[in-house]
Amino acid sequence: MPTSPASSGFAAPPAAGRAGLSDRWFSVLLITPAMLITLIFAILPLVQALDVTFRMGDLSRGRIGDYVGLENYRVVFADAAFWQAGWVTVKFTVVAVGLQMILGIGIAFLLHGATFAKGLTRSLLILPLATSAAVTGLFWRYLYDTQFGVMNWMLGNLGLPEPNWLGDYTIALWSVVLFDIWQWTPFVALIALAGLQALPKEPFEAAELDGASRWRVLTTLTFPLLKPVLFLVLVLRTIDCVRLYDAVAVLTRGGPGTATETMTFYLYRTGLKLFRMDYASTMAIFFLYVMLVAAVFALTPLLKQFTDRAKEA
Amino acid sequence: MRKSLASAGLLALLSSGGAFAQECTDPVQITWSTIAGFYTDAMASFVKSFEDANCAKVTVVNIDNSQLYNKQVIEMVGQTGAYDVVTLETAEKAEFAENGFIRPMTAFFADKQDLLNDVSPTLRAMTVEYKGDVWGLPYYTYSAGMFVRQDLLDDPTEKEAFKAKYGYELAAPTTWEQHRDIAEFFTRKQGDMLKGQPLDKDFYGVGLMAGPFPEIQDEMSAMIWGMGSDWLNAEGKVPVDDVEKAMDMYLRLMPFAPPAALTVTYDGVMNQMKDCQIAMTAGFFLDQWPNAVKTEENCPGATMAAIEAPLKKAYVGGFLLAVSSSSANPEMAEKFVAHIGGPEIQQQFAEMGGASTLTSVLTNPMFATPEKRATNGQYATLNQVFESMAGFSSNLFKTPFGAKIYNTMQIPLQSAASGQISAREAAEQLAADVEKICGGPCPIAN
Amino acid sequence: MQRKTSVVVEILRYGAIFLVLGFFVFPIFWMVLTSFKPEEAIMVSPPRFFFTPTTENYVHALHDKNFLFYIKNTLIISVISTAIVVAFGSLAAYSFARYNVGDGHILFFILSTKMMPAIAVILPYFLIFRDVGKTAVGKSLHLGLDQHGALIVSYVMFNLPFAIWLLVSFFQDIPRSLEHSARLDGLSRIQVLRRVTFPLAAPGIAVTAVFTLIFCWNEFLFAYILTRKAASTVTVGVESFFTLQGILWGPVAAAATISVAPMLIFVLVMQRYMVRGLTFGAVRG
Repeated sequence: MPTSPASSGFAAPPAAGRAGLSDRWFSVLLITPAMLITLIFAILPLVQALDVTFRMGDLSRGRIGDYVGLENYRVVFADAAFWQAGWVTVKFTVVAVGLQMILGIGIAFLLHGATFAKGLTRSLLILPLATSAAVTGLFWRYLYDTQFGVMNWMLGNLGLPEPNWLGDYTIALWSVVLFDIWQWTPFVALIALAGLQALPKEPFEAAELDGASRWRVLTTLTFPLLKPVLFLVLVLRTIDCVRLYDAVAVLTRGGPGTATETMTFYLYRTGLKLFRMDYASTMAIFFLYVMLVAAVFALTPLLKQFTDRAKEA
Repeated sequence: MRKSLASAGLLALLSSGGAFAQECTDPVQITWSTIAGFYTDAMASFVKSFEDANCAKVTVVNIDNSQLYNKQVIEMVGQTGAYDVVTLETAEKAEFAENGFIRPMTAFFADKQDLLNDVSPTLRAMTVEYKGDVWGLPYYTYSAGMFVRQDLLDDPTEKEAFKAKYGYELAAPTTWEQHRDIAEFFTRKQGDMLKGQPLDKDFYGVGLMAGPFPEIQDEMSAMIWGMGSDWLNAEGKVPVDDVEKAMDMYLRLMPFAPPAALTVTYDGVMNQMKDCQIAMTAGFFLDQWPNAVKTEENCPGATMAAIEAPLKKAYVGGFLLAVSSSSANPEMAEKFVAHIGGPEIQQQFAEMGGASTLTSVLTNPMFATPEKRATNGQYATLNQVFESMAGFSSNLFKTPFGAKIYNTMQIPLQSAASGQISAREAAEQLAADVEKICGGPCPIAN
Repeated sequence: MQRKTSVVVEILRYGAIFLVLGFFVFPIFWMVLTSFKPEEAIMVSPPRFFFTPTTENYVHALHDKNFLFYIKNTLIISVISTAIVVAFGSLAAYSFARYNVGDGHILFFILSTKMMPAIAVILPYFLIFRDVGKTAVGKSLHLGLDQHGALIVSYVMFNLPFAIWLLVSFFQDIPRSLEHSARLDGLSRIQVLRRVTFPLAAPGIAVTAVFTLIFCWNEFLFAYILTRKAASTVTVGVESFFTLQGILWGPVAAAATISVAPMLIFVLVMQRYMVRGLTFGAVRG
């Protein structure tokens, strides 16, 4: 597989064959297709959405209407349900991502030390990832059911309390978290496992010779080396969790009441059930703004790492 | 292998497309958006006869009940003309009519008064008429009554124990207080006796639809209408005190429902019934009779009965077939509405177990026979419901915001059912939500 | 002594692995089991593990509901979207990794497009495709509503940010010296890309392809709004099993099992490759 250009018998044209195309233009040319699509299909709807935030926009009462200044922002910021949904989203994201990271890394260590049936285990772990939340969520609803579900049947047989997983407003959100953990912990585990397996051997051998304790090795060697990959996973999972929609839509529809109503589900209800596109767009723009501010802080180290390496040449 | 699977799908497509190429060379295309189910499957053959008679090609699009409303609104707002014939819930008619999403069919029906008059008058008032115009035909009714385990109500041991405890005879409930008593009476634990037999699992007095679906309001409609009130008063506001009372009534049933009541809708209740877990329903869609009657096969000794809800008030509704304003072939679409909602198809539909909307079909003696009990056994009750509800109409169906209110109102109601807020808070929240949706008091048409 | 404790540790380890696998596999197992249950064995209490298996649910899904139609649509849309994402994404990511175009700003902008809630832009998308579908270009590329092109464009758009970010790190791990020497040998920049860089980045590209395909395959919201029937995908097709008589659990389970199978086979085939690819990119960063 490794291509050795030196040995290829190809009669190469002189390097000046592409004269006129500077590195700069070449690099711009490379990003053009991706940028075209991104610019058209990200900017256009964004501009439309931004425009709607300043207008009356009850779709089912007709078209997008007159400009109303900052009225929509006033209404949205005064809407208790909006902040409530934001709080639910924060709770969900912190707990789900936190547990997924901890469990995922734990499982990675568990598997890393195993010698038997590793391939099979890894293959089985991918299963939840390969399914769609819109479909498997339905089966989780079935598993959670208090009358017909397997979960409570097992708990009952063990003499344990049988919770009303999705019906009890105090625990419904955590039941959705459990489903998200089921679906996405393998993602974290598999990437962390891959990271573990790719660690260079030498520093660990040296540490062993020095008689360093396991804990020391873990905190001074393993985690620092794993940090970049774990950070990328953390960022991706966080973005997905704050945008969570499918799991809520299929498991609880935001219920009981609004106990599990996340930001995006509230957006869905406002935009696609009440058809108040003005409020929905305003919430979305605010949501995007918060995400961007957070991302500037969170992504700076990763971005800097990318650009530094790109500049190396 | 994937390739052969894909080509098999392609073949199936081609063959289904090829069936129309007889003498009609250029059929008029129309599309009908509706909900999946045995009745739409049954419609396939009715669609065929329509296509042959009118040189048309009808595409049926099945959409999940919970998504049908917004999917249709999006296509209407976008004026895509993608759906020629749409399927509307009773509370949605006013909105679609008011916003010009659907075409009035008054002129079309001018010379078809007989057909229109065949639609049960109660149903017609609620589903077909708005601001003096006719907007289509209902073709399926899910008007509500109640299902009970008649064998439990008739059991002598239970009757005796009930009378001893409550001081009156155990029989089908005629008030919500009696309904509550019966629900309480039949709520038992695993190992307790029922009809003299030990129970192998917990048994509950009533199955409720308090899940996150727009059905808890249908159950509560029976209560609030039974009180002589409505979800919206004449001023277009929510009568907070009355909603609180209805909510209280509902909350008094909650302890006797399975915990799953907070997560399910009607299909979950039917599953509980068929698995011998509940004694009765609250206000419940009578079209589910063919489903409910399966309880008799599953539970030894069970006899099902469809009765009117206490106080003889319950949700009346039907799926309205209407023609989209952006339809490119409205004449064909109108013909299709009349075809599906007409007596010939409704009769065949009923024979397959569908809940028809026409009086001539519902009162046809052929459906009152014992052989037809498993499929049409609820027809007599349905006729009674229409009779009892004659002249009634809810303001919920007269406001152009009815659909949005209907799609939102389960949230405070479910919050209260789950115990998160009180009945009073739920009523107040509902009033606030409704006011926000309407931007003030809701306009009510007469 | 040492041996003995390690035996205990190993037993604990495999016990734990068994529990973990049980948790992750059981829901899928239950779904597959349900797909073989006769209707009367599904919604029963207590849950039934033993029953006479039936294939009637598969017959219902494949024959009555013609589920393969949705599988076919999903296959076409996912595969083409993935191919475009990988192609455009690789070129762009290479440019970011080597030439630092935009000094990180464009890269940040690209990721930021992923942060917009899809629900807020879905109606603008709907209207754009409605109008584009009426133009000559739109017609020839099938970009209208309920056509494959519209979903493909949406999926490309929504998966490009993820793909580019993942790929940038992969490309940065390829030693520049290899490219330099190839250039000195007289290869053009395009030839270097094709013969040196891309083959070396193949594992990373494979990982990106796998995740993109999974995301496209399982997407619901866009498929639901932008299609009606002709271009509907499996996640939307499943809705025809939610009937007024209740959810057809057996056929849904069968359809879900059928729709998971191609993904599973694909992922299993690619998984070794994937795992290697992931580390290749990220860890040495």
